[in-house]
Amino acid sequence: MLSYILRRIVSTLPVMAIVALFVFSLLYIAPGDPAVVIAGDQASPEDVERIRQSLGLDRPFLIQFGSWVWRILHGDLGTSIFTNLPVSTMIGQRLGPTLSLMMVTLFLTIVIAVPLGVVAAWKAGSFIDRAIMAFAVFGFSLPVFVVGYVLAYIFALELEWLPVQGYTPLTEGVWPWLQNLILPAVALGCVYIALIARITRATMLEVLQQDYIRTARAKGLGQGGILFVHALKNAAVPIVTVIGIGIALLIGGAVVTESVFAIPGLGRLTIDAILRRDYPVIQGIVLLFSFVYVLVNLMIDVVYTIVDPRIRY
Amino acid sequence: MDRRTVLKGLAGAGGLALSGGLSAPAIAQGAAARTLRFVPQANLANFDPIWGTQYVVRNAAALVWDTLYGVDSSLQPQRQMVESEQVSDDGTIWTFKLRSGLKFHDGEPVLSKDVVASLTRWSARDPMGLMLKALQQEFTAVDDRTFKWVLKQPFPKMLYALGKGNSPCAFIMPERIAQTDPFKQISEYIGSGPMKFAKSEWVPGAKAVFEKFADYAPRQEKSSWLAGGKQILVDRVEWVIMPDPATAAAALQNGEIDWWENPIADLVPVLKKNKNISVDIGDPLGNIGSFRMNFLYPPFNDVRARRAVLMALNQEDYMRALVGDDNSLWKPLPGFFTPDTPLYTEVGGEVLKGKRDLDAAKKLLAESGYSGQPVTCLVAQDQPITKAMGDVTADLLKQLGMNVDFVATDWGTVGSRRAAKTPPGQGGWNMFHTWHAGADCINPAPYTAIRANGDKAWFGWPTSAGTEKEVTSWFEAKSIDEEKAAIGRLNKAALDDVVYAPTGFFLGYTAWRKNISGIEKGPLPFFWGVSKSA
Repeated sequence: MLSYILRRIVSTLPVMAIVALFVFSLLYIAPGDPAVVIAGDQASPEDVERIRQSLGLDRPFLIQFGSWVWRILHGDLGTSIFTNLPVSTMIGQRLGPTLSLMMVTLFLTIVIAVPLGVVAAWKAGSFIDRAIMAFAVFGFSLPVFVVGYVLAYIFALELEWLPVQGYTPLTEGVWPWLQNLILPAVALGCVYIALIARITRATMLEVLQQDYIRTARAKGLGQGGILFVHALKNAAVPIVTVIGIGIALLIGGAVVTESVFAIPGLGRLTIDAILRRDYPVIQGIVLLFSFVYVLVNLMIDVVYTIVDPRIRY
Repeated sequence: MDRRTVLKGLAGAGGLALSGGLSAPAIAQGAAARTLRFVPQANLANFDPIWGTQYVVRNAAALVWDTLYGVDSSLQPQRQMVESEQVSDDGTIWTFKLRSGLKFHDGEPVLSKDVVASLTRWSARDPMGLMLKALQQEFTAVDDRTFKWVLKQPFPKMLYALGKGNSPCAFIMPERIAQTDPFKQISEYIGSGPMKFAKSEWVPGAKAVFEKFADYAPRQEKSSWLAGGKQILVDRVEWVIMPDPATAAAALQNGEIDWWENPIADLVPVLKKNKNISVDIGDPLGNIGSFRMNFLYPPFNDVRARRAVLMALNQEDYMRALVGDDNSLWKPLPGFFTPDTPLYTEVGGEVLKGKRDLDAAKKLLAESGYSGQPVTCLVAQDQPITKAMGDVTADLLKQLGMNVDFVATDWGTVGSRRAAKTPPGQGGWNMFHTWHAGADCINPAPYTAIRANGDKAWFGWPTSAGTEKEVTSWFEAKSIDEEKAAIGRLNKAALDDVVYAPTGFFLGYTAWRKNISGIEKGPLPFFWGVSKSA
């Protein structure tokens, strides 16, 4: 297993190299110019050109790419064109809020979606099943920002239970940390709750028709034991797969959620960097995200071996 | 345990948690009353007011760096860091003396050498600074508090140049920082202004924090815009960046922020209904909407085609698209200068007044030789102002019978593409939309967009000898009457040659909680004199 994990980690290097080349090329050919944004609306074309030169943006593609790769190999993600801060510092400032949002969302998603899917499968065809699936369709259909605004209106403006926006670090207390994350996590989690509930239901329905479930019932096992010990464990591989994909998708969803709830996370940093054409920041974030994607896939593969001992690498 | 027990437990735990989390202790409430939470117009992505000239940088910089002079609400420069000035009879030698007791945030005194270095850096980037630099014979520190500027010829607008609020302002920095290449960014944010920048708390895109500078020496006069005593009445000013206007509106209503610089018009009715919120015009100098036509390529290289567009243009259509039915938010603008300012003029503005004559415009367009070639119109969709104006222009051009190549894109792309001098079909353009802060349009000094010196002019590269002649006349004017006369002629010449198309004058609101007082209307948010009660 250890050698497998090491091999997988080593195999991420070419993947990330390809991602890096792709992103760099894309940014190079994309329209837009950070020098224009820096110089401001009143700047003369000469001013813009001088700023472009000072940033090294007038150099040929291969030289720019080469120097960037050289810095990356030395562990340096570069410096933001706009803030003059190291990209690693900027990512570090934003990592906490995004990780917190993803953790709380993931927790809510699993805690809500898996039991819902199990119950829906158990009560297949009943009113409960239909109600859960109707909720799932609803969750799929509503855009994150709509859910976000509605939640903010009800729970922040009308009931005044939770804040509208912002982020408080965990170091300032669990509740202050959590109260800023509940609404965004619910808004972001809706679609994943719907997705995982549906997958859980479908997989459980298949498993519940297996002979060993019938045997368990014949032995007189309780419904809870059958559902959550015998059936759910055997249905776990596809569910874990979808949860893993969900983690990857959460990164995309966080972009919208962080904007709606003014959470200073990586999603907002990405948008800001793209709109301003802050190339080093965009490149740093994409590299980080691609690494996270690869890591999540690896973790899922490892979890497979835990939930299904038949799987070996 | 039954269902009721669980529900009671949850309610109790929730109540406990809420009471602990939402009602802050008395000490925290006191701190909150000394912290002003402000949502600015944009993200403070960099903090060098000479290197980056965006308005948001200028606005933040005005807290941290001071200027030698500052314009007041009557647009007159008043002494700020300067105690006195002397000018020679021939107007070529200026001698300035700094006030005593001025200190930078690192405790060092402000000296003449700092001023010389700062203004040298500023004059490499600012249009008025460049003019001064061209006239400069000698610029030296005479002693710690005295410096002298010797010019080759008089520059009557000297004090205005040093005190203007237009970006880049002539901010004073320590010499070691001011010696940075003006095209490279500084990394130390030490000023002598009324607040210090808390660099360690700066999260670009999310938060910027300013702390009261205890050693600041304010002037004794009452503050007025950038002039007078800049008394800071709170301990901290926190800029909270909120990209989503709906979130900012909700946060203001919920008391999570105190002041929102520029609420969008759509949300103003909601804010006005809230009894805890005040809403008023933020900047009385407002903005001027515009679209620029490319003088280098057909059809707009022919003045008749440009005039045809101006003849058909209905400013009300543009303004309604921007501000809706709120008539207090816009004015027609038959010219280029900001209404209700001393140099405002309508001379030559008949072409923009009265009923629109589409047939005459079509006839003039035909005379220009236009024969249906595509007109590449750049419209940034991520800026509500340009998007709204772009839609109106597309309709206008179609009514004129023009073949519109509508390029819906983002502001970043417009920003770079408009600099391209290649033909429209090869990456260039015929027309793009933008707007100008009214504060930049009060006279020709900061008004880059009005210049018409061809290749050296702003994007579109207009050429208009008459316009340029009157710009020079204004700079040389020695009295307000001479200035007004020059501006009248300038307005006419610029309209005759259609340097750009003004689409109207519009205002915006600002909104704040009612426990905030002392907010002054102006071209930038002034934090001095603003206080907050618990």
